[in-house]
Formats: sequence, C-alpha cells, structure tokens
Amino acid sequence: MSSSTFPNRRSVLQSGLGAVAAEWLLQRDLRAAASANPLAPKVPHFAPRAKRVIFLFMVGAPSSIDMFDPKPALTKYSGQKLPASFGKVVSQFTGGDTPLLPSPWEFKQYGQSGIPVSSLSPHVAQCVDDICFVRSFYTESTVHAPAMYQVHSGRVLTGYPSMGAWVTYGLGSPADNLPAYVVMPQPEGTPEGGTPCWSAGFLPAVYQGTLLRSGPSPILHLKPPDSVTPERQKNTLDLLQQMNRLDSRPGDSEHAARIASYELAFKMQSAAPEAVDLSKESDATKRLYGMDDKKTYDFGSRLLLARRLIERGTRFVQIYSGGGPVSIQWDAHKDLVLNHEKMAGLTDKPVAGLLKDLKSRGLLDDTLVIWGSEFGRLPMSEGGNGRDHNPHGYTMWFAGGGVKGGRIVGETDEFGLNAIGERYHMRDFHATVLHLLGLDQHKLFYLHNGRNEKLTDFGGTVIDKVFA
Amino acid sequence: MRKVVSVLLCAALSATAAPIDPREEAFIGNRRSYWAFQKVVRPAVPANGAANPIDNFIREGLKAKKLTPSSEASKRTLIRRASLDLTGMPPANAEVEAFLKDNAKDAYEKLVDRLLASPAYGERWALKWLDVVRYADTNGYELDAERPQAWRYRDYVINSFNSGKPYDRFLMEQIAGDELYPGNSDALIATGFLRAGPRHVVGGNTDEEVNRQEVLLEMTLGVSNTFLGLTVGCARCHNHKFDPITQADHYRIQAIMAATDLKEIEYATKEEKQKRDVSAKALMARIKPLDDEIAAIEKPYREQLKEAKKLLLTPAHRAVLDIPKDKRTPEQEVLAKEANKQIGLSWDEVVNALPPDVKAKRAAIRAERHKIALDEPEEVPTAFAVANMEKAPVTHILKIGDPKHKLDTVEPAFLSVLGGLDAPKGPADRRSAFAKWLADPAHPLTARVMANRIWQFRMGSGIVSTPNDFGQLGGRPSNRPLLDWLAAEFVSSGWNVRHLDRLIVTSAAYRQSADIDESKASVDADNKLYWRMNQRRLEGESLRDGVLQASGKLNPKQFGAPIKTPIEPEIYDIIFTEGEPDNLWPLPKDRSEVYRKSIYLLNKRTVRLPMLTNFDQPDAITSCPVRAVSTHALQALSLLNSAFMQEQSEALAARVNTVCRKGGAACQIRTAYELTLQRPPRPKEQQMARQFLTQKRMPLEDFCKALLNRHEFVYIP
Repeated sequence: MSSSTFPNRRSVLQSGLGAVAAEWLLQRDLRAAASANPLAPKVPHFAPRAKRVIFLFMVGAPSSIDMFDPKPALTKYSGQKLPASFGKVVSQFTGGDTPLLPSPWEFKQYGQSGIPVSSLSPHVAQCVDDICFVRSFYTESTVHAPAMYQVHSGRVLTGYPSMGAWVTYGLGSPADNLPAYVVMPQPEGTPEGGTPCWSAGFLPAVYQGTLLRSGPSPILHLKPPDSVTPERQKNTLDLLQQMNRLDSRPGDSEHAARIASYELAFKMQSAAPEAVDLSKESDATKRLYGMDDKKTYDFGSRLLLARRLIERGTRFVQIYSGGGPVSIQWDAHKDLVLNHEKMAGLTDKPVAGLLKDLKSRGLLDDTLVIWGSEFGRLPMSEGGNGRDHNPHGYTMWFAGGGVKGGRIVGETDEFGLNAIGERYHMRDFHATVLHLLGLDQHKLFYLHNGRNEKLTDFGGTVIDKVFA
Repeated sequence: MRKVVSVLLCAALSATAAPIDPREEAFIGNRRSYWAFQKVVRPAVPANGAANPIDNFIREGLKAKKLTPSSEASKRTLIRRASLDLTGMPPANAEVEAFLKDNAKDAYEKLVDRLLASPAYGERWALKWLDVVRYADTNGYELDAERPQAWRYRDYVINSFNSGKPYDRFLMEQIAGDELYPGNSDALIATGFLRAGPRHVVGGNTDEEVNRQEVLLEMTLGVSNTFLGLTVGCARCHNHKFDPITQADHYRIQAIMAATDLKEIEYATKEEKQKRDVSAKALMARIKPLDDEIAAIEKPYREQLKEAKKLLLTPAHRAVLDIPKDKRTPEQEVLAKEANKQIGLSWDEVVNALPPDVKAKRAAIRAERHKIALDEPEEVPTAFAVANMEKAPVTHILKIGDPKHKLDTVEPAFLSVLGGLDAPKGPADRRSAFAKWLADPAHPLTARVMANRIWQFRMGSGIVSTPNDFGQLGGRPSNRPLLDWLAAEFVSSGWNVRHLDRLIVTSAAYRQSADIDESKASVDADNKLYWRMNQRRLEGESLRDGVLQASGKLNPKQFGAPIKTPIEPEIYDIIFTEGEPDNLWPLPKDRSEVYRKSIYLLNKRTVRLPMLTNFDQPDAITSCPVRAVSTHALQALSLLNSAFMQEQSEALAARVNTVCRKGGAACQIRTAYELTLQRPPRPKEQQMARQFLTQKRMPLEDFCKALLNRHEFVYIP
C-alpha cells in the first residue's frame, strides 16, 4: 500500500485530527497488514520453548510393545488368552479372543537414562537421552482414518483444522517465500486418512498444508509449463502487476494483498527450488540421514528436506512414513516381523540422523520433533503372526523444543493393552504441543457456525512432565 | 391448500405450548424475548423519497450515522456486476454494447429480467445453496466412495431455482418430500438434502450405534444450519452455551429424524431398467475376456508366490491346508483361516513378481479394459433418498454426545424456546410436521434466515453477518427493519426468491459504486450500512467458468452425472487407495465434457481441485454460509502456472487470432480486451499491451494469461 494515497498515523497525529482518527488508522493498518499477508509472523501468547515442529507420522500404526514399551508378560503368557478380567476387547478385525503374542524383538537399555528400545530401532536407541516417550496415549477409534483425524485435528470426524493449520493460523510464518505448513507423504501413496489430515478445515485455505516434493518443481504450479521461458514469465508478471495497479482502488486492502501475493509467488519460484536442493548438502550429512543406502534414501531425503525448510523459516512440517499399498504401511495385520523389519528399516536411521543433525546445528533446542501414529497394536495375535489395532494405549515420543529427554511418561498395563494411571487423550497431546509453541489452547480459537472452535475442543491437560 | 395449513399452524404457533420441564423453562427464562425469536412484523416503509423500499430502509440506516449512499456505478460496471452475480458468467461483448446503447429508462430493469430468466440463474444459486448444505458427490472419509446418484439432488436444486419453486415448498420437499408428496420423484430426490453431509463408510467391526449417531447428527446439523439459522449442533453435549437451546432440544430434533433410513429408491420404468440391463450385459461381455486374460497371465506367478509363502508357515498351519474344509475340526479351521491369511497376496506382491515384458502386457490389457469401461451405461434413475422405518427407535439424550452413555428419553419435538410443539410419535410424518412448522409464515426464523441469505448473496455481506447463526454469538442485524421488511415481503410474495433477487438487484444500494470513500470508511469501515456496494471476488468455480467462456471452450451442456476434469499428477497421487492405482480418475470419453461448468464437476470430499480450493472453495464437510476470501502466493501460482490456465490462455489467443486474421497488435489487443473484460482498452492499457507484444515481442497467449489473472477479471465490480 503506498503511503502517498493514505495518511499515516504519525501525519494524522501531527495534523491534530485526534485520538479517534488515530485509533481508526491503527486498526486499519493492522487490518491491512493481516490481509496483505495472512501468514505474517505473529507473537505467541507467552514465551515459547519451541518455534517450529517436525511431525513424523507412521501410517498404519507401529506396535509400541514391539518398539518402545517392552512387555515381558507376553513371553510368560505366550499363546494364552488375555485374562478374563480385561473384559471384551474390540478391534477392527479381531474380537480379542486370540492368543497373546510375545514380541519377536529383543529390548536393551540405552543411554544414560537406560531407556529400553527394541532391536527394531538401533539408531533411534542412540538418541534416547534426547527423547521423552509418552507411553499412555489413547485414541477413540479402532479404524485408521478416524483415529488419524483425531491425532491430526482432535476429532474422529473430518472437517476440523489440522494441528499444522492451527499452528500457522496462530503463529504465521517467518518465511514469506516458502509455504508455512508443508506436507510430505510417502511417494507410493497417500496415507489412509488422506487430505483431511492436513486440511485447514473451516479455517481459510491459506492455512492448509502444502504438498512438497523434491525436484525442480517441488510445489504444485510453482513453475509454468516447460514451454514458457523465465523471461516470458517475468514479462507476463510485470504486465500483470502494471495492470493490477491500474485496477486498484484507494483503500482497497484486498487488491493490495493480491499484488503482494504475486510478488511472493515470484519469490517462491526461486526460494523453493533452492530450499529443496539437496546437492548442497555434504556427503557426511547425507550419510547421517541414510541417503547412501537405497533402503533409507527416500525417508532420509524427506527428513533432510524438512531440516532445510525449517532452517529457512517453515513453521510446521508433516512427514508420513507409509501410504498407498498395504505393504508400504505399518499396518501389520499379518507377518508382523516382515512388516515392521521393513518399515523400521526404512525409517530408523533417517529419524536418528535428523535428531543428530538438528542437535549438531543447535536447531534441536527450539525445534520440536514428534514421532507418532494413530494407535498401536494389540498384544494378541491376528492370523497367527500379526497384530490388530490398539487405540487403548500406545506410545508417541517428543524430542527437542524444550522437551526433557531421557524420560518416560505414563504407562500401559502388563500386557500393553490399556493405558493406565495417567492416560492421555489427543486433547492433551495438542494442548502440550501448543504450550511448547507458546500458544494457550484456550486463546487460539476461530468462530465457526456459532461456536468458538479450538483444537482441543473442551480443553486438554498440558502434559508438563514432557518438558518440566 | 397451503393457505389452510398455514392458518392452522399459525394458530398452533401462537397457542400455548405443551408444558415444558421446569428446569428447561428456567434455562430459557427471559431469553424468549431475544429479537430473532419474535414474530416478524412488517415495518412501515420510511417515507424519504426513494423508489425502492430497500433504499428507504438503507437511507434511514445511513442517516443515523450521517452517511450518504455512493453514486450509481457506470453502465459497464452494472452489466458486468449483474451478469456475474445472477448468472455467474460475464456478459458477452455484444450484450454490453446493446445495453450501453439502450437509453430506455428501464434498460437496467430489462437487463435484470433477462438475467433472472437465464438457465444459468439456477446454476448460480445452486453453487450458493450447495455450500450451505455441504453437498458433495462422495461420502468423505478415507474411502470417500462416489455416490453415483447424488447428483440428481444438485440438478433438483438448479431446477427449483430456475422454475421459481416457492421456498416453503422447496424446504418441505427437502425435509419430508417422501412423506408429503408420495409418488413424486422430484420430491424424493429432494430428500437427498438429509444425506448431503459426509458419512463414514468403512469395513471391519465398526459400531452400528456410533455410525447411526453420526448420521443423525449430520441430519440435525443440516436442518438447523440451513433452515433454522441456529447452532443446534452446539447443544449436543450440553445445554447451548449462549442460546436458549437445551440439550434435550437437540435430541428432540434428532428424534424427528430417528425413524429415517437412508435408502436408494429406483423410480425407473421397466423399459428403462431392461434397456440398462441389456447394455450392461453387453459391456460385461466385452470386459470379461480381458479380465480372464489378466487372470491367466497372473496365475503361474500367484501360484509360485503362494507356494513360497507356504514354506514359511508353521508345520501345523501347513498341514491343515491339506485337510479338506469339511473334514477340519474347529481348531483346525482356525489354523486354516490363519494360514490362508498368511499366504494371501496383495496386488502389488503379484505385480512386482512379474517380469518386465509380462508386466507391460498386463498393463496394456488393463488400459484397454479401463477404456471399455468408459462405455458403461448410465445407472437407471434412482433417488439418493430416505424412507421411514417400520418402527421408530427410542431417542435418548446422550451424555456429551456419546451413544454409549444414554440419559433420559425424549420424544420428537421442535425447539422449546419457540413453543416446543410435539411431532407425531409413530415413525411416519415426524419430518413433515417439522417441515410444516418451519414453513409456517409465522415462524420467526425461516423467512428471516432465507431473506438474509439472498441479501448476503447479492450484496456480499448479510444484514446478519452470520447467516447460519442468528443466536447470541452471531451478528446482530445491522438494519433490523430492513431485514424484517425483506422477510415479510418474501413470505407475502409466496416465498418467491426471484422476487427478492429482483428487488435487491434493482435497488440503488446495489447499483451504487464500490469505490471506497475514506471519510465514510472511517465511520463504517465494514460497510455494514451499505454506503457503497461491496466488491466481491469471484468464487473459484465462476472464475474457471469465466476463463472457459473467454477462451471459447465452455461446454454449455446442463445437468447429469458429475464430470472429472484432468488433474495434476500430484493431485492424482493423493487419491487414497490400497488397490492398484491405475484407473482412479477416468476422464470422460467425450473430451469436450471436461469444459463443462464447474457446478457439474465431480465434487470429491478428499480430492479438491487446486484452482478451486486455492480460491477458498469450502471442503463440503461442514456447512459454509459465507466463503472465506484468503489471498496467498499459492493462489497466484495456480492462476499463473497451472496446465489449465496455460491451455486456456493458448485457446484464447487462438480465438483472438481467428478474429484478427490479418494479425496486427491493435486488433489483437482490442479483441482480447473484449473477450475478457468486454470493453475496449484505455490508452494507457493500449500502450502497455503494445510494449509487451511488439517491443518485447512476447507471445499473445502470455498477454491473454495476464488479462485472465487481472483483478478486473477476478472480481465482481
């Protein structure tokens, strides 16, 4: 907005127009700033521990009791039924009457904290002193998608904004030339919950997750078709902006915002390919992420992309392991060993690489890394060698961003079926993440169809053991 | 007949209601006197010299703040504004020229009448209505399957607005068409309204009670958001925090729907069905050989894979497979089931086992199969509708909305604060009683809510700024006498939507300039009193339609099954499937179909078209009464760089060149301006264009693309 067409506040005050007019101009300026770039950075409600989030989501539900929550009782009672005192256990495909299946993997203690991790995650095991494991989360559906929606948006229903959308709505983004909220699905296919997992719900579309890939055109429509040269593109844009200036009426903040959006688009055209250009990274860094191994190349390169994006100001990065065909998800209804060896093999080294890399660059202090899924898996077997879904108690973990590492919070029963003691709902999960980001769950709301909607709905409990 | 019903219900509405629970009465208390619950009393039109009653009310509102209306917009602006507003399409150049030359006093009124009679009028209204009822062609959630017959409801909506169906009838058909108008297929299709929302459909052990509660909740949200303008959904877990709606009220309205079953009802003739059967069989006969061929190709590899997997089985598991099924003991049967699960094959295991040449051959056969499948005959006409159950299930109040925590039972009834009339207790006619209660001319909300929607649609903001929420948390009417007058006028015109549209669009308030006067803005920045016309951005749908109109590619065909348009590979990839992802988005055989108007495109809840979603197309999951208008870089990118915009810019350039056969920048510039903005270029614009085309020697298609991105093209002036 040009200053020539508008009196600014100072000139109004100097001219003696009075406080009312000055107040109105202040309001107008704030409104104009917000409408010129709705993603402009905003001040959090209180001092944040974390400034940005990388959320690693394991699609299909890894088995907590085979990775981070050892259950020796399963070996002791192997092949037996769950005691009747547990009542009827309902899952998606089994009825709870199948025999208990011990974990095929060995657990060992790691780090100064001595936290147990199974042989599925030898690399993440090296990082336990930076990780806080919360073993007693639960979701409210035995079906993947509704449970995924609950983890992402707080409700088992669709139509609600995802956590990344709420965070960018609340905090904006320091990067005006990159998307504020980036999503990287598994190349083989979309996660079961699909687009509602990163949608803006009823928030304006600007807060939805932006799909990002590596390569010369990482964002949809970033580049014109090949036939259009950069020179042509630049000239078209210049002509367009000249014409748009002709169309702009004085005082029209929406037109000003449109002109600004084309400028940002132009900046993004050079910034985004630079941000995703992994050739600038050293071989040592690439090795750290497992990019020297075919198996870990994909996930490693996506995690390295995540680091490059958050370095450049992206606020929230959502990455999925698993999607598309059943064989590329953590959904081990049959052949738990084959499935989890494969999926953990694709991700363990890259995840540890990300934590180490962030730490060595000093980024882990204010970057929150979350590892999670829609639920865990049952202690009983399915089809003899698999496990069905278990939303009743499962592990997710946090690292960085003010999180106290080397810590275990919450527990499940001796078989790993139910969370016991301090059980944590997704409302608590979200309240905790918002808190780490300096956002008060009750102050972050949006009026929609007569209700001040919040990520945590009725409100959750901030799990302070995660960081205090 | 309608009058008789009205009179009867009028009496009922004012009669003493059935006794209300004292606790509920205490909760409602004096909030019964809230403005929106008061009967509409037609206000006297203020005498201040304006010709259109709307302007008399607007002038009064402005006078109170010492504001004056803006001057009338130019004729060019008016025809563009009215055309985009009433039909969603820009005017043709010839129409603009004719309008400019028409010096008759009623030239504008004639223009408005022509636009109101256009078949596009109903299409335009449908875009708005479908936002409110959150219509889509798919179920939503992970599988997001298509609802092959749902589109008939979309066509019903278009036809209803075009045919001038009275709004009370429109309302009654949608809530209770099956009960009120038996044997009328249109009324049956109308009940698709009750099923318009998302629905979770998935396999495995899901809880029927939970599923049913979700269906009832969606129905309750649908009627209360759309017709009542109250957020009854908020009273699902507890009494409403702001409005006198008790939790019991929420479940009483659920009880209205409790006996309502979702049902596909065929209404085709015998001949239609036979004809369909014959063509479906003929198609199967073409497809089956290909399926057989694929099965034959896969067979040896499937067997090999299975044998390999068998070797990994425990000896016990392996052994039971050799025992014939009828000879197995129950324990052996359990083992056999496990064994079969363990040796089961997914499609990708099979495909990955094929040698490259076999894989290629199989892919070619599948491609051929998908091509043939495009010839599938259209389904026989079926209403995506509802029907009543034999017996009405009991309705309970649910503790925090959880069907596992049942509290007291409730009977079907309406809102206590509005008199709380009871509905029939049997399974039948609950909905028709509810519909008649809503459609009663004396109902304080129904007419106000719709009059406000019509106003908001045309003026860009509602007199009540929250059209789905007339409650405490919603906006107060910025001009209550105007709202009430519009509501009264709406009812006395026979609930005639077009009548209200005409009144609004011919008012001076609508015809004024949208320019911003800083001094007036300092008094009323949000233009709540309408001292100027609001400038509005086109919806993504209308923008796409306008681009197609300019390029000459628009296929004006109306109605029918939804169309898939080409999508980017990135978007194709987000279609969720665990199956083979090679035919998830079949494009129509007749490629001109991909240029149909946006209202006819497949609206899939989890796969949004970037150009539409970047322009704030709602997600069709919750009711959207007012679209957000967000402006951001990704929006600019899709309007500049998408394959669609490139293709249409080229088509527009080609169209310009058919007019300017001899070439020449002057002709090209003028023609491109006329096809996009329906006006000649101004000298400054001429100069910019010449510099671009002749000095910089940039291609015409790029010039066209810039025009299609321009504010003037993207906004209703």
